[in-house]
Amino acid sequence: MTFTVSASGLSLHYGGTRALDDVSLRLTAGVTGLLGPNGAGKTTLLRVLATAVPPDRGAFTVLGHDPGSARGRQEVRRRLGYLPQTPGFHPDFTAFEFVDYVAILKELTDRGARHREVRRVLEEVGLGDVRGRRIRKLSGGMRQRVALAAALVGDPGFLVLDEPTVGLDPEQRMRFRELIARAGEGRTVLLSTHQTEDVAMLCHRVLVMASGAVRFDGTPAELTARAEGRVWSSTERDPGAKAGWRTGTGSFRNVGEPPAGAELLEPTLEDGYLLTLDGTGAEVAA
Amino acid sequence: MRGVTWALAGPVRRTLPWRALGAAGAVGLLIAGVPRLTGAQPNPWQTLVLLRGIALVGALGLAFLLDDPARHVTAAVPTRRPVRQALRAALVAPLVALWWTAVLLLAPPASRPPAAGITLEAAVTCVFALAGAAAAVRLRDEPRPGPGVAAALLVSAALAPLLAPESWALFVPSADERWAAAHDRWAVLLVVAVVGWGVCGPEPVARRRRRATAARAAGGAG
Repeated sequence: MTFTVSASGLSLHYGGTRALDDVSLRLTAGVTGLLGPNGAGKTTLLRVLATAVPPDRGAFTVLGHDPGSARGRQEVRRRLGYLPQTPGFHPDFTAFEFVDYVAILKELTDRGARHREVRRVLEEVGLGDVRGRRIRKLSGGMRQRVALAAALVGDPGFLVLDEPTVGLDPEQRMRFRELIARAGEGRTVLLSTHQTEDVAMLCHRVLVMASGAVRFDGTPAELTARAEGRVWSSTERDPGAKAGWRTGTGSFRNVGEPPAGAELLEPTLEDGYLLTLDGTGAEVAA
Repeated sequence: MRGVTWALAGPVRRTLPWRALGAAGAVGLLIAGVPRLTGAQPNPWQTLVLLRGIALVGALGLAFLLDDPARHVTAAVPTRRPVRQALRAALVAPLVALWWTAVLLLAPPASRPPAAGITLEAAVTCVFALAGAAAAVRLRDEPRPGPGVAAALLVSAALAPLLAPESWALFVPSADERWAAAHDRWAVLLVVAVVGWGVCGPEPVARRRRRATAARAAGGAG
């Protein structure tokens, strides 16, 4: 099997805070989801793999190149697309001008070919009709798509997306899912998100991080299976549950170790995620 | 690389912090024009202080030169950071030179200090601003480090005359016999500032420890 990304023992400290703790992973083509609570180290891991920041320890290769040398890092960046958590823009640029600017930075110097490529990615993210509009006049969702277009320009082999659907309304999220699914055809996509639905619908594999370390690495079905027999319904909130909440029907959905004779429910990926985080010291969001 | 630099010139020109640069330039020219506007006849020391103040104003504007709201989007592009920073500096350098020439011409000729000496001082101040901005870009994740760099520059400029030892006097009057020696020191500072900028410009390199284990990871890359 060919790995797009192969990392071993990645560690990174910010001052006294351990942001990454001995992370090892291998990524193949397709969309891999990265879940974890705030402060779990997801963004740090993505920034390291995107070569935006070097790790303190450990090594990794992307598409066969080692970013530990200046030349290797440049080779990686030639084949990398990166959408950061908080993309910023030059607001006076049009969508076309901004993506064109990023395309030049990605060394696409032939003007004609570059403009064709910029038009292609803007069409791909559904901004072909507004490519001449200034970024300051675009909605938040459209700006996210401009950033995605900037990441996609140059047809990268490895795409790093840091919470691309945050702040988007359901329709925009649906649209983004389509785009990410398409982007994952034939290339490797690493998608950080808080949305377990996105992972369930998009990813062939999921990593769960907490306290800078990978706590789970498997398929979404395997993560969901962790909650098999551990989700149940009750008329009152079960005090023994790790998490529990009243549903729209008035009954309580509990996650944890069920009492004998409990009415078991079909688990979701989110249940598996919550149970994976439990015991890691990470906050369980219920 | 030349093709990239050439193609980048237009877009990068548009990304420059023109408001900060324009404001600094306008304030500098305004201060330089005050003696002519008011008919005042400043003495050489006053004119020297005026020009040093104007150089500082210009440097404060340049402290914003590396501000880039799109920094995170362009964090992982193959065009190297020093190339991008040098291009920004190269695009404003002719304008800064013209501006400083205008400032010198506006200063009262009768009390104007030697142009070479005061220009060297201005150059050091400006390059320190750029080196500070480059250091902020390297050490911090902030897309707009300009305000912090400008504040640090202002504090440094206020403290430098107070803290510089007498044996290393920098801010001497033009008639002072130490003028030439002081400007030898300014030249040293220029080298320090340029080297500082050169060191801070590139992105942090990978550590040796990583290189040692790189082969291991590559071996598993199948």
